[in-house]
Amino acid sequence: MNDPSRFYRWLLLVGSLVTIAYLAGAAVHENYLAQWKTVQREYRDILRQKTADDRGRELLSKFRIEMKQVSIPALGAVDRCVTCHNGIDDPRVTDAALPHRTHPGHLLDKHPVDRFGCTVCHHGQGAALTFQEAKAEDVYWDYPLLPPEMTEAACATCHDPEKLPSDQVPMLTLGLKLYKEKSCGSCHKLGGRGGTLGPALDNEGAKTRHQLIMTNVKPPYTTWNWQTAHFRDPGSIVRDSQMRNPTVTRGEALALTVLMLSEWRRDVPESYLAPDKIDQKHRDLHPIPLTGEQVYRQYCTACHGNGTYSRWDKKFGRFVPAVRGDSLVAGAPRDYLRTNIEQGRPGTQMPAWGPHAGGLHTEEITAVDEYLRAGARAAPPMPSLSLRGDSSRGLSLFLTNCAGCHGMHGRGGIAPEIGNPVFQQAATNEFIVRTIRNGRIRTAMPAFQRPEASALGDQDIADVLAYLRTLGENKNQSARTPGSTPPPPVGGKP
Amino acid sequence: MEETATQEFLHNLRTLPHSVKEACFRLGKAPESEREESQATFHNLFLHIHSVRVHLRTLSPTLTFGLGLMATASFVLTLITGVLLMVYYKPSTDLAYQSIKDIHFAVFTGRFIRNIHRWAAQFMVVVVLLHMARVFFTASYKKPREFNWLVGLGLLVITLALSFTGYLLPWDQLAYWAITIGSNIANSPRELTDAIGITKYFDPGGFQKRLLLGANYVGQDALIRFYVLHVFVLPLALVTLLGVHFWRIRKDGGLAKPEDPMGGLAEWGGERRPVFEPLATKTYGLMALVKGQRPPVNRGPENTVMSWPRLFWAELSVFMLTVATTLILAFYSDAPLKELANAAIPENPAKAPWYFLGIQELVSYSAFTGGLLIPVIVVVGLALIPFLDRRAGGEGTWFGTKSERAVFWQSFLFALAVTAGMLAFTVNYGWLRNWSPNIHQLWIIVINPGSLLVVIFAGWSILILRRKNSVRLAAVSLFTCFLVGFILLTYFATVHRGPNWHFYWWPSQWPIH
Amino acid sequence: MSRLDPPRINRRSFLSLASMGSFFAALGTAAAGMFRLPNPAVLPGPVRRFKLGPPEQFAAGSETAFAEQGLVLFRDDEGFYAISSTCTHLGCTVARSQDGFACPCHGSRFDNEGSVIGGPAPRPLPWLEVSRVANGDLVVNADSEVPEGTRYRV
Repeated sequence: MNDPSRFYRWLLLVGSLVTIAYLAGAAVHENYLAQWKTVQREYRDILRQKTADDRGRELLSKFRIEMKQVSIPALGAVDRCVTCHNGIDDPRVTDAALPHRTHPGHLLDKHPVDRFGCTVCHHGQGAALTFQEAKAEDVYWDYPLLPPEMTEAACATCHDPEKLPSDQVPMLTLGLKLYKEKSCGSCHKLGGRGGTLGPALDNEGAKTRHQLIMTNVKPPYTTWNWQTAHFRDPGSIVRDSQMRNPTVTRGEALALTVLMLSEWRRDVPESYLAPDKIDQKHRDLHPIPLTGEQVYRQYCTACHGNGTYSRWDKKFGRFVPAVRGDSLVAGAPRDYLRTNIEQGRPGTQMPAWGPHAGGLHTEEITAVDEYLRAGARAAPPMPSLSLRGDSSRGLSLFLTNCAGCHGMHGRGGIAPEIGNPVFQQAATNEFIVRTIRNGRIRTAMPAFQRPEASALGDQDIADVLAYLRTLGENKNQSARTPGSTPPPPVGGKP
Repeated sequence: MEETATQEFLHNLRTLPHSVKEACFRLGKAPESEREESQATFHNLFLHIHSVRVHLRTLSPTLTFGLGLMATASFVLTLITGVLLMVYYKPSTDLAYQSIKDIHFAVFTGRFIRNIHRWAAQFMVVVVLLHMARVFFTASYKKPREFNWLVGLGLLVITLALSFTGYLLPWDQLAYWAITIGSNIANSPRELTDAIGITKYFDPGGFQKRLLLGANYVGQDALIRFYVLHVFVLPLALVTLLGVHFWRIRKDGGLAKPEDPMGGLAEWGGERRPVFEPLATKTYGLMALVKGQRPPVNRGPENTVMSWPRLFWAELSVFMLTVATTLILAFYSDAPLKELANAAIPENPAKAPWYFLGIQELVSYSAFTGGLLIPVIVVVGLALIPFLDRRAGGEGTWFGTKSERAVFWQSFLFALAVTAGMLAFTVNYGWLRNWSPNIHQLWIIVINPGSLLVVIFAGWSILILRRKNSVRLAAVSLFTCFLVGFILLTYFATVHRGPNWHFYWWPSQWPIH
Repeated sequence: MSRLDPPRINRRSFLSLASMGSFFAALGTAAAGMFRLPNPAVLPGPVRRFKLGPPEQFAAGSETAFAEQGLVLFRDDEGFYAISSTCTHLGCTVARSQDGFACPCHGSRFDNEGSVIGGPAPRPLPWLEVSRVANGDLVVNADSEVPEGTRYRV
């Protein structure tokens, strides 16, 4: 090469020309190829065809191809949707194709665009100027555009979903009904009320897709696709899910999804809230007590079924005891149920339901207690138990007869845990003895005092009782030093 | 005839375009003689930092690859686009994200300008690192250029700091979590002070973090501090140091070059040129005092050419090359903007920008060692190079001294093998904590894959020092090892680290969430 | 010439001119693009359509100033009309005076209908579009002017 500056001059020429080309490319891209400009040109043509009167001519003459937006500082919304949805509040274009068409229904009469914008109801990325980015399913945006059938979830932002007419929000209404029917509250807390086996559902609608594992969901990876798939079969979406299949149809799964999406306590200015929403907030703080039956239906049936039989629970791998009717109530001391409901049963899946735990009010617990005992026949009086028990003999009897179901040290197996302090405190000696003697009807607990050789005599029962009463103390010790006492070998049948 | 004032005024009015032109472009025409060419250089503020004549080697594209100029050019680009972005950007946690969205969607060419800003910044980091490697491998840090090497090092640190501070401004998830991590690296001396139990009395980590964030969390105070650093303090520092850097190039005699052979002949266009002989009737003065050991007059072949226009063609072309490259990247690839920052949902994985991922990999072993100790060792080590390797020789030539190239390749392969081996070992077998969960943190701070790599590299360099008996070769081996280690760690953390910092062969295998 | 320099570059060569020309063209294009950017594509801020309440609350012959919205609402026998209270000179807010409106900044004076009667204001105060929304509330659109004398009948 003769003169290196020749190379540099070529480089400069090429560099400059490429720069000009790309600058020009960017300018063309911005000014002529923008999607919204094409849309607005189409809309202008539609306006031309529709123009019949002076008013129409005036609107046409005022129409300019320019970016449009609705800015609502109170809602933190800057929605440019109207850049493409030009005819959203123009009644003349009801028959036009999307995106030019008028907003369907009469919702805009009460929710004018310039006061509410678009995204407060529809979600999606209001700042965007292409449909793909406004829809925001596959871009980085927390709340993509809700599918039309789910948009009603957003009504709950400013309205009390229970007070909305059900024909306007059919999915939401169905979802609310299903939530109670399926007894979701047995495991999930909502507004401070419910069980603790599953996660609380407050603000579930505020979740973004990054908070949910999407590995087993079919794309697009939206929260509602996750929710719907999860309601259809929880185990296929979340590995090792404890949640039982709610057995819902696809439509019902969608309704529950809408309900979940509506659980979003967005901070909107008070001036936007419907009066019933304010009532709802008040009601959430001071709930009207439910009847015993309502409490039982909403918060107990998921595990206990109708309560009169003990249920084998596949997920838990154990029997859930019968809590209603003669089976338990007849023999239990007066406060037994109440204490168990209020304080739960540590070591089992049964959570505490007192005001500071499951959120039930004292009067509701009283009501459900009464509901459970209703119609139960009082147990016949039992001859008093005066025998002294020997706890070491009781241990071997327990191992032979009880540990198979109730577990070593009564820690629970397929039958409930009986070493826990709540049981130890609530169950009287009489109750325990009666249960061992007579068993529990409609449950897997057999009667141990029967006319057979292997049956337990009064003294045996007294020994077992003595042993059981040591469990409360033992448990504390063994809890402190796990594995310090090797469990004795198990022998015999349950 | 005496000219009246009116006539004079009218005449001045008539000649106005000419006289304005003359005042602005003093020469008024393209320089035609060497004298005019030298004046064109000398009388222009922007050009006068160049010497009037430059050595022929300076014009060779393969000596420097124009890397320093590219870095400057990308800085100019970020400066211009940065000012444009400031027109719309709002440094508030409530508004920042929305304002970036506005720039992205609604501002005319806003997305393009932001892309250019981002790509120019990334390009700058790459080019600054390459520039440093070039200066090192051409031994251009040697006397009298030690000071400029230090200035360059300062520029490197400021460049990285600019990138880091700019990272927070969009206030998206990436920003929030990367800065959370970054500020906790500043906090990492606590790992050491906690381990030896003196945090209560001496807490430099907490001090650094509070200085950076103005709080214990990344919030509005952090945002405004980062903003001020990013748009004012750091650019000002960079421009100042850049001025010093350029000035020193000139004062140190231009680009480093080997001594021209005495009495040799320069080659130009295939023909040999005789030694420059001054005419007896003329006096020759230097247009500037330079630090060269002797003026070339009467000593060797005239190997310099006028700067105007050849040097300026070269510089302009490199500038435009940078601009064009950045524009192409910006046109096709959007700068990322994730979801709005959310303190409740951590990014998984929360990755820093790629050039910090090497450090992030080290941090995953020990925050203090990887995030602070090793970087400080590296920077101090780099700063010491020109003062420990003082023997002249090889300046301005790629791998100039004897067997330098061989040592480079040996060290390259050695570092590649050691780093890859260390990574493979760590991924497969874990580290101290996996083997013995109750181990004292102090052990992990001292012994971890990162610190071991540093020790192994240092050992290798000492081996070279003793075997080859050359400080320069030892420096080459150490520099190469660290460079390769840095690149490999960066690559590894970029491609093979996924959610929860687990190892994955490809990002496509990450669980979807 | 004793100094044996490489041949001088001919600045008039096509390559030199083309490369320099394209360089300045690129610079110019970039500068033009840069000046486009600061001009906002869409103006921020909410729509300036103000709801003023039910028409019954304004008696005939009354006038009500809305300082925040920058307008005065009148009702006479023929109907409603709204006059902007932003001075057409340099944008200060005018105050009600005995014979109309007066601007405190540079002394413009307007009569009761907003016509200029003194001072530097070049145009009368604009009359704004009055209408009603679905629930019957009066609405003034501060972005839409109507000819002077236009009244909105309830």
